[in-house]
Amino acid sequence: TLCMAYKHLTSKEYEEIDRRLFEARTALQQREEKLAHVFQFIEKDLILLGATAVEDRLQDRVRETIEALRMAGIKVWVLTGDKHETAVSVSLSCGHFHRTMNILELVNQKSDGECAEQLRQLARRIKEDHVIQHGLVVDGTSLSLALREHEKLFMEVCRNCSAVLCCRMAPLQKAKVIRLIKISPEKPITLAVGDGANDVSMIQEAHVGIGIMGKEGRQAARNSDYAIARFKFLSKLLFVHGHFYYIRIATLVQYFFYKNVCFITPQFLYQFYCLFSQQTLYDSVYLTLYNICFTSLPILIYSLLEQHIDPHVLQSKPTLYRDISKNRQLSIKTFLYWTILGFSHAFIFFFGSYFLIGKDISLLGNGQMFGNWTFGTLVFTVMVITVTVKMALETHFWTWINHLVTWGSIIFYFIFSLFYGGILWPFLGSQNMYFVFIQLLSSGSAWFAIILMVVTCLFLDIVKKVFDRQLHPTNTEKAQLTET
Amino acid sequence: MTWSATARGAHQPDNTAFTQQRLPAWQPLLSASIALPLFFCAGLAFIGLGLGLFYSSYGIKELEYDYTGNPGTGNCSACALADQDRAPPLRCSCAWYFSLPELFPGPVYLYYELTNFYQNNRRYSVSRDDTQLSGLPSALLHPANECAPYQRRASGLPIAPCGAIANSLFNDSFSLWHQRQPGGPYVEVPLDRTGIAWWTDCHVKFRNPPLVNGSLALAFQGTAPPPNWPRPVYELSPDPNNTGFINQDFVVWMRTAALPTFRKLYARIRQGNYSTGLPRGTYLVNITYNYPVRAFGGHKLIVFSNISWMGGKNPFLGIAYLVVGSLCILMGFVMLVVYIRYQDQNDEDEDAE
Repeated sequence: TLCMAYKHLTSKEYEEIDRRLFEARTALQQREEKLAHVFQFIEKDLILLGATAVEDRLQDRVRETIEALRMAGIKVWVLTGDKHETAVSVSLSCGHFHRTMNILELVNQKSDGECAEQLRQLARRIKEDHVIQHGLVVDGTSLSLALREHEKLFMEVCRNCSAVLCCRMAPLQKAKVIRLIKISPEKPITLAVGDGANDVSMIQEAHVGIGIMGKEGRQAARNSDYAIARFKFLSKLLFVHGHFYYIRIATLVQYFFYKNVCFITPQFLYQFYCLFSQQTLYDSVYLTLYNICFTSLPILIYSLLEQHIDPHVLQSKPTLYRDISKNRQLSIKTFLYWTILGFSHAFIFFFGSYFLIGKDISLLGNGQMFGNWTFGTLVFTVMVITVTVKMALETHFWTWINHLVTWGSIIFYFIFSLFYGGILWPFLGSQNMYFVFIQLLSSGSAWFAIILMVVTCLFLDIVKKVFDRQLHPTNTEKAQLTET
Repeated sequence: MTWSATARGAHQPDNTAFTQQRLPAWQPLLSASIALPLFFCAGLAFIGLGLGLFYSSYGIKELEYDYTGNPGTGNCSACALADQDRAPPLRCSCAWYFSLPELFPGPVYLYYELTNFYQNNRRYSVSRDDTQLSGLPSALLHPANECAPYQRRASGLPIAPCGAIANSLFNDSFSLWHQRQPGGPYVEVPLDRTGIAWWTDCHVKFRNPPLVNGSLALAFQGTAPPPNWPRPVYELSPDPNNTGFINQDFVVWMRTAALPTFRKLYARIRQGNYSTGLPRGTYLVNITYNYPVRAFGGHKLIVFSNISWMGGKNPFLGIAYLVVGSLCILMGFVMLVVYIRYQDQNDEDEDAE
């Protein structure tokens, strides 16, 4: 901050000043005192013009971003190296602290006991007043005192505050705070955003580190997991991209387990009927190609392209982020749902085919009999169709690529099977699958059985989805409705 | 370090619809208004189909007889008595008499059924050599190792056809006799022993080795039949088009069954007077009992069945369609109730606001 003032000088006054300055500057002894004396003489009776100050402006839309983070259920802590007053005023101006918040302070603690006493007092105040929101200000030295002996108490106080501001933080202390949060009982996921070299240790310590490429250089961006150009991009990063990727990856993981449960359980069930002699139900080529060719593309394209809600809706409604908090889509409940679904589907595939054959009746119009490879291929066909249609049920965003890979996978399976079973392969020792698929397809009973089993498997799933959407729609589902 | 906002080029990602995820898309929502008509339609369709399938299976007739010969169960117990550990006496035969009160509509198919016979056991089902069975002369004299211990005889001769599946070939035979009037003579019903195996099996997959001097026996020179076979493979049938590896009984047996209780097609009854079915009267099945099943607790059955477009008699498909169809309709009604209730509630909420 500078202040500007002026004074008119006559030429006589100017010559006087010039002479005095020259004497002071060329003095051989006590030059600084003589200069100070002269400047004192000059700077009198000035007329004040004004004051200039340099504002370190907050970036564009920081307030809105922090508000959005809070609406999404994300707790925001500010860790800064600035001094107490600066930090508090910046916090207030960027929306981290509200005017209506009760600001608690843990600053300038000199000793351990004092710190503990203050912490207990703060805890009591929080307990007394539930209605109002609390904010906490801690400075670097008090923090190190608190962390030395009273970690639990300190974390207790922090947890009950909706916003925490740590000022006068050394870079390593920032990392230490993040470590502390990471190991606290709820094991939250931490994300650190920083733009300077002093934020690097914090960025590396947090689960997700984000560097802002800014005026302070590229150190933070170089050490981060993701680099963005402006703080406001954080909202799109989290609420649009983060949300999308979470849904995609969670569904990918669950679907992979599901389709492999569907794949292997009939093999396992078959062992009960073949004296546990490890006879495979499916041909070995099918065993190899199931995960690679027949069922890999639909889920791959889903996990690249799926958008369960429009990005604009996601960005404008940060509360939708709460639907995926606490790793909900990979929780035990969801995993059990998918696994039990997989088992029930596998049972339907296997026992549907088993009862279709019954006492080994003919399934062809000419009375001829099927063998074990035809039986296995029937189970396999139903399975490939069902898991692909299940993926189709899960997909919400149908681009032309989704259509291509979903229906294309099923068509490819048919074409491949016809091709594989249509030729006597010279290099294969056993010709088990020769013409098996074509014979299977020429059986009317088999076709009806395939349709029946696919519908039975997905019927319950569809009922569950429709009921969930009708009776207790999640915020996500409501948002999907609004855009249509 | 300056932040230049004007330098575009190498590091900027493409701005196409695909890379920026702006592809046009269809976004269906599985709501009740779509699911309800779908469920009702599917339910009705399934119930219709189920009725059709059930009726179709209901019209199929089946007649079976267990001739294992366990003590006290009919004529064949005499043949089976010796059976506990050894093969029964050669050419033991027994008879089964039955009478049909009305026409058994045709064409009628004759099957034999075996129980507790695990053709799907892994060690058993890999014990074959498809290259040998495709008629390759080199493989004829060098059967694959998977066939062991049915690869070579004690004399060192290679076995053709090798393997445990071939060795356990079913060798009972049946003949059917019809007595038109009571007290009259029995007339043999012609059994068509062709067309019982898959066409591609008989004509493509299984081929006899090339004839030597016009003789199939010479083609198989240097090989020996499997240990349990009474005759070599080229004498399986007097018909030269149905002997050797392409003998249809043999081909049918080599298609290993999926489950321990299985049937295999033995003959079709479709010639002469019997092409429309088996008329009423008394019948006699003369069974040549060769195959020992009592040692492993299995049963042998003979089955007459007629076939519709969907195969043999199995009400499972019809019943399953009916069940799923009714469940669909039931769920449709439940959803309708919930939907109406939810609509009312929604209207109330809107009115209240």
